[in-house]
Amino acid sequence: MHLHRPAGPGPAPAYLWAAAAVTGVALLALPLRDRLDLANIIMLFLLAVLLAAVRLGRGPGILAAFLSVAAFNFFFVHPRLTFAVSDMQYLLTFAVILAVALITTHLTTDLSRQAEVARGRELRMTALYEMARDLSAALSLEQIQEIVSHFVRRGFQSEARLLLPDAAEALQLFPPGNPAAAPPLALARDSARTGQPLTGDGWHLQPLKSPMRLRGILALAVGPGPWQETPEQQQLLETGASLVAIALERVHYIQVAQEAQLQMESERLRNSLLGALSHDLRTPLTALVGLADSLVLAGHLPREEEELAQAIREEALRTSALVNNLLDMARLQSGPVTLRKEWQPLEEVLGAALQARAPQLAGHQVRVELAADLPLLELDAVLMERVFCNLLENAAKYTPPGSTVTIRAEPDPCQADRVCIQLCDNGPGLPPGREQQLFEKFTRGRDESAIPGVGLGLAIVRSIVEAHQGRIEAGNLPEGGACFSIRLPVGNPPALPQEEA
Amino acid sequence: MSNTRPIPAEGPAPVVLIVEDEPQIRRFLRAALESEGCQTHETDTLARGLIEAGTRKPDLLILDLGLPDGDGIELIRELRSWSGLPVLVLSARTDEADKVQALDAGADDYLGKPFGIPELLARVRALLRRAHRGQEAGPVFAFGQIEVDLAQRLVRRAGETVHLTPIEYRLLTLLVANAGRVLTHRQLLSEVWGPNHVEHAHYLRVYMAGLRRKLEDNPTLPRHIRTESGVGYRFVA
Repeated sequence: MHLHRPAGPGPAPAYLWAAAAVTGVALLALPLRDRLDLANIIMLFLLAVLLAAVRLGRGPGILAAFLSVAAFNFFFVHPRLTFAVSDMQYLLTFAVILAVALITTHLTTDLSRQAEVARGRELRMTALYEMARDLSAALSLEQIQEIVSHFVRRGFQSEARLLLPDAAEALQLFPPGNPAAAPPLALARDSARTGQPLTGDGWHLQPLKSPMRLRGILALAVGPGPWQETPEQQQLLETGASLVAIALERVHYIQVAQEAQLQMESERLRNSLLGALSHDLRTPLTALVGLADSLVLAGHLPREEEELAQAIREEALRTSALVNNLLDMARLQSGPVTLRKEWQPLEEVLGAALQARAPQLAGHQVRVELAADLPLLELDAVLMERVFCNLLENAAKYTPPGSTVTIRAEPDPCQADRVCIQLCDNGPGLPPGREQQLFEKFTRGRDESAIPGVGLGLAIVRSIVEAHQGRIEAGNLPEGGACFSIRLPVGNPPALPQEEA
Repeated sequence: MSNTRPIPAEGPAPVVLIVEDEPQIRRFLRAALESEGCQTHETDTLARGLIEAGTRKPDLLILDLGLPDGDGIELIRELRSWSGLPVLVLSARTDEADKVQALDAGADDYLGKPFGIPELLARVRALLRRAHRGQEAGPVFAFGQIEVDLAQRLVRRAGETVHLTPIEYRLLTLLVANAGRVLTHRQLLSEVWGPNHVEHAHYLRVYMAGLRRKLEDNPTLPRHIRTESGVGYRFVA
């Protein structure tokens, strides 16, 4: 980067012009030297020096001053045609001429430099202003990239590249490709890591810091050699970089909002589709259950036919449970599910599940052991109730009547930020070696067994637990019996209201 | 069980209006209700349902949410502007948000499809009894081993006084006054803590847990204060 030189003739002609001006004055004054007073002749030389200093710059001005002194001395001061000086006061005249030349050149070069600086500043301000205006209307990364290139060309007479983080947070050239003139990626990553501007390999790298985080790197082609920037340029680059960073952040949030909208739309569509399906499947099942009940309750059927009506009812209810499982599985597997998480005591969710499965567990002993220091957990109550319902239903199905089901919950002894919930029974246990397989869809503990089911229950359980950032494991107890362990994150439970008892 | 107690024998037969578009479901609903001594009227659209609710003066409305000419929730909202008639909602929808919406709009209870007739009749009896009892509520309400003396603000369990905090007492009286209905989290929070606290469902859950520990024999498997996951609470006497 360098400043523009003042407009005007090049260096060599400028000195010639200065010499010519002095020669011109000397030639003009020579015929008049006997008629004009020396004081007036010196004024003519002074004029030439002044003009040379103003128009041609410092060097030519000084040359003009020396030539003027020499010419004045040689041609006009007695004894003429020598450089000898008879009257010592002319030395003062020479000194004044020289001083005028020096002061004038100093003043003019200073002025023109200031004008130059002002012009440059105005140019940069215009570039910055235009970029700010264009960026405020930019809606895509491509637009931002174009605006930045334009800005850097105008403000720095240089080429610019953008490096933006990709999905994996690794910096990549944007737009991708263009390997002919690419900034060094390794250096860019250093700059991104430290958040400091770096220079190397012919590029100056400026981090793009937005209020939230680093949004990328702006790379300027600076050519070989050390990067010299004036304070104004540095300020311009920093201001420009923060404008670009804010624009990138804005575009990022536009994308986030659009994706959220899309996801919401697709989930809404999915839910209304499943809702319609559920309605159409449940309506006939409702009629079946109700009509079968009507037959039984009317009370005038022979015993055998009453049993048939009961069987119809049971089968309809089983089909309904299957429909529920299939719909749940479809909802959980067809995309991200929005959990309705709320802080709640585990006891309540567990209680709802025990209530719902009370008929199936009527012949079993159920023991619940909840640690007193169990924190509130952030759960989707409906889905978590499904988890416990399915596990309890399995326990009821796969253990003989009279078995004991124990539910235990306590802060995880191994991980302080987790809660461990165990649901164990003292039945025959899980088939050894297949503990994890059980969580796959359509997998059952014992194939072709007389116990009804299609093997969706545990797959649903796992999906729900994982949606809560939890983990579930299955195993057998050393003393016999199956055991399911769920580990759920504790999070930051909210403060509870205080009330005087 | 108190739920098998017959519908009030004295007085005229209760009138039940059924608004349901599926004829087979209407058919067994009618049969079941008539066997209980109710008089029934049926209709299959929202518009007709609203008119019948005005002209037939029913004691109970059984309403399917998915009607061909609109959402049953609209009917509840419209109805609630001029009537306190008990409403039992039948819903084939999976989403708890629909149930909450119907209850917040003014429905008294809901039943998910499919349901058995004994379940239906238990709900119908509870709602009819509620409407009936409304006129003759005494100062003492008893359930299981618990006695709530509203006049003296005292709660006894098997004869022993139970110490409740003011909020617990407020919650209990609210539940008792709405026995047989489902109260949503929002309704309970706004009644007890005020309308600015409807987002603080965990307050409610913690106090309910406290109430269960003090009143229920087995707080993990409560008999009286039942949880309706994702919806609210139901008090069963």
